[in-house]
Amino acid sequence: MKLLLIEDDASTADFIRRGLSEHGHVLDVAENGKDGLFLAASGAYDALIIDRMLPVFDGLSIVKMLRATGNPTPLLLLTTMGGLDDRVEGLEAGADDYLVKPFALVELVARLAALARRPPLSTVQTTLKIDELEMDLLKRIVKRGGKTIDLQPQEFKLLEYLMRSEGRVVTRTMLLEAVWNFHFDPQTSVVETHISRLRAKLDKGFSYEMILTLRGVGYRMIGHAEAL
Amino acid sequence: MLRLFNTANFRLSALCGVVFACCFAIFLFFTYWTTTNVLEQQLRARVRDELNAFVTEAKTDGTQTVVQDIIERLNNAATTLAFYSLNDAPNQKLVGNIPNFQEQLGWQKIIPTADTDITGAQDEDHQIWGQGERLADGSFIFVGQDAYRVLAAQEAIIDSFFWLAGLATVLALLAGIIVSRKFLGRIDDINKTSLAIINGNLKERIPMRGTSDEIDKLSANLNRLLDSNQDLLDSLKHVSTNIAHDLRTPLSRLRQRLEDAQSTAKSAAEFRSHISSALNDSDQLLSTFSALLRISQIESGSRKSAFSRLDLSQLCERVTNIYLAVVEDSDRKLLRDIEPSIIVLGDEELLLQMLVNLLENAICHTPVGTRIILKLHLEKQHARLSISDNGLGIPDKQRLKVLDRFYRLEESRTTPGNGLGLSLVSAIAQLHNSVIELEDNAPGLRVSLSLPSIET
Repeated sequence: MKLLLIEDDASTADFIRRGLSEHGHVLDVAENGKDGLFLAASGAYDALIIDRMLPVFDGLSIVKMLRATGNPTPLLLLTTMGGLDDRVEGLEAGADDYLVKPFALVELVARLAALARRPPLSTVQTTLKIDELEMDLLKRIVKRGGKTIDLQPQEFKLLEYLMRSEGRVVTRTMLLEAVWNFHFDPQTSVVETHISRLRAKLDKGFSYEMILTLRGVGYRMIGHAEAL
Repeated sequence: MLRLFNTANFRLSALCGVVFACCFAIFLFFTYWTTTNVLEQQLRARVRDELNAFVTEAKTDGTQTVVQDIIERLNNAATTLAFYSLNDAPNQKLVGNIPNFQEQLGWQKIIPTADTDITGAQDEDHQIWGQGERLADGSFIFVGQDAYRVLAAQEAIIDSFFWLAGLATVLALLAGIIVSRKFLGRIDDINKTSLAIINGNLKERIPMRGTSDEIDKLSANLNRLLDSNQDLLDSLKHVSTNIAHDLRTPLSRLRQRLEDAQSTAKSAAEFRSHISSALNDSDQLLSTFSALLRISQIESGSRKSAFSRLDLSQLCERVTNIYLAVVEDSDRKLLRDIEPSIIVLGDEELLLQMLVNLLENAICHTPVGTRIILKLHLEKQHARLSISDNGLGIPDKQRLKVLDRFYRLEESRTTPGNGLGLSLVSAIAQLHNSVIELEDNAPGLRVSLSLPSIET
């Protein structure tokens, strides 16, 4: 992916640049809001990473200006403020995602991947399918290999999110936010518990496991080809 | 003394004194005017009557009879107040008791001088007020009376005015001084207390008189303000000490790990393991900081503007649904008793976190096999929420302290957590105008709170 990072702190920018290039991304860095806005407006990027606190124009204004001109590039806001209202403000301004500093690099990579592959809003999917696993979003039915799997509403939501992110890394925080609307870190193993319950229902009696655990990173939903 | 005159109280009393004296002057002037007028009219009427009688007598019996009459009257001791003068034309005194009398028609006031000796009355208190008229044969008659009664009344009124006005002013000044002294004394108390506090004696309070007047009420309120400030300062001190203490442990652990890695690690695998533990430690530190930030953000109250109607029953259902599996996996039991459709005004995200924190506390700080019960009921227009367990509970003495930042029961030092969970819960409850209540569930702990509910 070709990415643009608008970040005034050189060491953070360097950390992100090295991390992302290791994952095969190309990253341009703008050190202030003015240059950043100019580069971002060119539309040459797959996704934008914008720090909230910037000289000249702050991150929030850049997001608003880009969206006001109809620029659709997916963008992620970075912030040092773990602010309660900041996230809502950022999303309302038109950011697609929000990440609080300090963050693990895998978290940023996973979120960027999710952003870039976000399906266009116009296409309404009513079924999801990964090889033998099928999900009917209207009838709320899940089948694997033709056999109906009985899921709790939360498990259904969890599986839906995982299936939509097929093949990509999904971090624990992403799941907490998307499935349970938890914008904080719980003390207990909420995610692990529900994943293990879902896994028990989904994989039991089948030849391979569809939900992979990536230690210290998160989870990944895979199909037949990758499992073998 | 100068300060005394500068007090608002003194000025007010002085003004009162002046206004009082002015009223007094107006009243006395009126009395003076009416009294002298009435007395003078009476005197004139008496003189007029006598004069008319003489004029008539002269017409009928001749001037000589009048002369006889006057001599008779002058010899009568009872008429010492009367003065007469009968002059033959031109200016020849026939009879009379007024020396150096000058003829003048009509009303006149004769002020006696040293050489006008009138029956031993030479001072200003005695004046002869009277009227002169020409008789039928051309001779001149004057009838007058000593006006000392009128003059004495005038003098008495003027004297009493000066006495009373003087007295009133002195009394007003005295009252002003006394009131101001009292007032100043209490202001001094407040001043001394403020100075003492500025100089670092934070425990000082303004003395109360127990009179429950305005100044007492002011002092009481100021004392209350000082108390709450003191509490805030104490808790600030407490928090900073705790932060320093609680952050030093993970920081020194982190440092030790890095030092270990530097000195003992040989292979890449060993380095990796040290680094990953160090990362864990720093994550823990970061989470403590973000929890602290979150608490102070909640306490700032800015979040209140985002309050909206929300179904607390549904929220409780949702949270318990999420945690049923977690509780079950931890070999505890979660029971719920939720009355449906209880609507409150609040912040959904924060209330969700509060419920999660309370449930997680009940899971993390209780022994295996504990039964956790979440209840939500409507009680006197309030949503009454309680989460109880039959675990170890909290000893009476420590029950309130667990709401303090970083406070941890000794027993739970080994379990994960940063000692901020209940502080966060308490801050969220306070934002919703509620208070966390911790009670003995005999055995175990019951945490409850009430939120005002909205009628649906």
